[in-house]
Amino acid sequence: MTATVERPAEIVPREPVNKGREGWVRRAPLLPALVFTIIVTQLPFLFTIWYSLQSWNLVRPGSQQFVGLDNYVNVFTDSQFRGVALNTVVLTVGAVLIAMVLGLAFALLLDRQFRGRGVVRTLLITPFLITPVAAALLWKTVLFSPTYGLINFVLSPFGAGQTDWISAFPLTSVMVALVWQWTPFMMLLTLAGLQSQPHDVLEAARVDGAGSFAIFREITLPHLRRFIELGIVLGAIYLVNTFDAIYMMTQGGPGTASANLPFYIYQRAFLGFDIGQSAAMGVVVVVATIIVSTFALRLIFRSFQEES
Amino acid sequence: MADVVFDQASRVYTAGAKPAVDRLDLEIADGEFVVLVGPSGSGKSTALRMLAGLEEIDGGEIRIGGRTMVGVPSRDRDIAMVFQNYALYPNKTVGENMAFPLKMRGVEKSVQQEKVRAAADVLGLTDFLDRKPKALSGGQRQRVAMGRAIVREPQVFLMDEPLSNLDAKMRVSTRTEIAAMQRRLGVTTVYVTHDQVEAMTMGDRVALLADGRLQQFATPADLYDKPANRFVAGFIGSPAMNLFTLPVSAEGVHIGSSELRLPREVRGRISADTVTLGIRPEQWAVANGRGTAGGGADGVGGDGAGSGVKAQIDVVEELGSDAYLYAHLDDEEQTPVVVRTGGRTGARRGDQVVLTPTSEDLHLFDAESGERL
Repeated sequence: MTATVERPAEIVPREPVNKGREGWVRRAPLLPALVFTIIVTQLPFLFTIWYSLQSWNLVRPGSQQFVGLDNYVNVFTDSQFRGVALNTVVLTVGAVLIAMVLGLAFALLLDRQFRGRGVVRTLLITPFLITPVAAALLWKTVLFSPTYGLINFVLSPFGAGQTDWISAFPLTSVMVALVWQWTPFMMLLTLAGLQSQPHDVLEAARVDGAGSFAIFREITLPHLRRFIELGIVLGAIYLVNTFDAIYMMTQGGPGTASANLPFYIYQRAFLGFDIGQSAAMGVVVVVATIIVSTFALRLIFRSFQEES
Repeated sequence: MADVVFDQASRVYTAGAKPAVDRLDLEIADGEFVVLVGPSGSGKSTALRMLAGLEEIDGGEIRIGGRTMVGVPSRDRDIAMVFQNYALYPNKTVGENMAFPLKMRGVEKSVQQEKVRAAADVLGLTDFLDRKPKALSGGQRQRVAMGRAIVREPQVFLMDEPLSNLDAKMRVSTRTEIAAMQRRLGVTTVYVTHDQVEAMTMGDRVALLADGRLQQFATPADLYDKPANRFVAGFIGSPAMNLFTLPVSAEGVHIGSSELRLPREVRGRISADTVTLGIRPEQWAVANGRGTAGGGADGVGGDGAGSGVKAQIDVVEELGSDAYLYAHLDDEEQTPVVVRTGGRTGARRGDQVVLTPTSEDLHLFDAESGERL
C-alpha cells in the first residue's frame, strides 16, 4: 500500500488574544513612576539648557538676557575648564584603577581559608561604610595633617619631617582618600566573582599542570573579567561625581589644582553666582558623560551576554 | 605507563573522625583498567582524588610507577583526569582546552596543534575546535574532556564518574568507546562510578568500596560469582541477590514454612545455627503452587515441592526477554523475594508459586560477620 504523506498546513504562531489591551493593563501602573521621573530629571535638564543660553549673574539683578551659544563658546575657550576636566579624568581613572588592583589583591587573600577571616573581611569592608565626609575629614586631619598627622609621625624616623601633604600633592591626596574608600567595593565584587568560580575547573587546571600564577592568569582572571568590568564602570560612575572629598580636603585648591568638574561647576554657580556659565558647563558634562557611559555600559553588557 | 599502588592509603577529613578512606590496599598493574565502585559516601571518589593529588594522603602511601606520591603536587604526577562535570575552561575554545595541559608543560605550539588535531580527529571534534564549551552538547563536552586527557599521553588516566551527566543511550555508547580507547592506548586507568553496569562491563578488575573500606578487588566475573561478603553480594547484580538469614536445620535451612535441603558439602561449611543464604534471582525455578504446570519453560515441577519454597507474587515486571517476579514468602515476616524468569511466563499478581533453587552454587555468608563461607 502506498500513501502520499501530505504536508500539514504550515503552523503559524497564534496571536495572543487582547494583545493591545493587555499591554496597557500592564503598562498603566508604571505611568506614575514615569511621570515622576520626567518631572524630576528631564524638566530640570530642560531648564538647565534654557539657563545655559542666557547671560545671568545673580549678583547683578536684571542682568538676565538671551545670548545664544556664547556661554558654550566661553566654556570651550576657558583653560581652567579644560584643566579641571583633565583633573576629573585623572582622578576618576586613577582612583578606580588603583582601587580595583588593590581590591583584587585583597579579594585573592580573602578567598582562602584562615583563622579570623570573618573579622579581617569586616575590617577591610569598613572604609566603604564610613560617610564620605567623615572619611575625607579623617584623611585630612588624622593622617595628612602636617603638625599632628599620623603619616608624618610614622615617616619622621626616616627624616620626612613636616611635609604638608595636601598642599604639596592636592590631587593625589584626594585620590588616596578615594582609593581607600573604594577598594572595599572592588574587593567585594571580585570576591563574589572568585567565590562563584567552579571548584572543579581549578582542580582540572592543577591536574593539567598549571601552577598558582598560571591558574590565575589563564583561568581566574578571564573568569573575573566581567566582575572587574562591572566594578570599573560602577566605580567610575560614582567617582566622576566626587564632591565631598574635594570639598572637605582641598576646596579644589590651590587654585583649581584639585578641582573636578562637579566641584568647579559648584564654585561657578554658588560662589561666582554665574548661572548661565555653570549651566552651560553642566550641559557639556552631561553630554560627555552620556557618550562615555554608553560605551562603558555596552562593554559590560556585551561581556555579560557572552557569559550567559 | 606505570603501575599504581595504594599501600594502606588513608584519608581523614577531621582528626578523630571515621576516615573517608580507610587503609586502602590496591595493586593496579601497568595498562590495567580498574573501576572503583560503591554507594555514595563509600570513599571511591576520595580515593581517586588522593591519587590525583587533590586530597592529602594522611596515612600509608600511594605509588605511581614505584615513586611515592606523598607530598607530590598533582602537576608533577603525570596524570590526566576527567571530571564528572567535565571541568572545561569556559573562556577557552575547545582547541585551547585540549591544548592547555601541553601549553602548561611548555610544549611547542606546532606540536600542541598537531596533537590536538590528532585527538580531535579520533573524538570527532574537528569541526568544533573553535567553539566555546558553552556551545557544545553534553556528549561533545564529555569528549572534549576526554580529549584534554589523552593529548597529554599521561602515565595514568583518572576518571570520576565521567558518564553520569549523559543520557542513557549516550552513556552506553560512550562506555564502549572509553573502554575501547583505553585498550588501544594501553594507559593505566582508574575509573570511579556508582553504576555497577559500568563497573562490570568496563573494568579488567573492580574494587568495591563501602564506608571507606575495600570490600573486594576482583574481576567482574569473580565479583558476581564469588562475592566476598554479604555487602558485595547485595551490591553487585540487578535485581539484587536475595539474602535470607535463616535457622539451620539437619538437612539444610528453614525457609518460610518449608525446609530447603542443601547439598552435604555446602552444609558442612556452616558452623553457627543461623546462616545467611544468598540466591540470585536467576537461580530460582518457578512452579505453579497448585501443582499444575504453570511456569512455562522455566517451570520445574518434578524435583519435588518438598525442597521448594511457597511464595505469592506481588508484582510482575515484563521486560520482553525476561520477567522479574517480585513475591513474598509465606513466612511470618512475608520476606520479599525476587525471581528472574524468561519472558511471557503468564504469571500474574496474586499467583501462588513454589520456588526451587536451581543451582548448587548458592552463596552462604556468616550471619554475624557477613563473610562468605
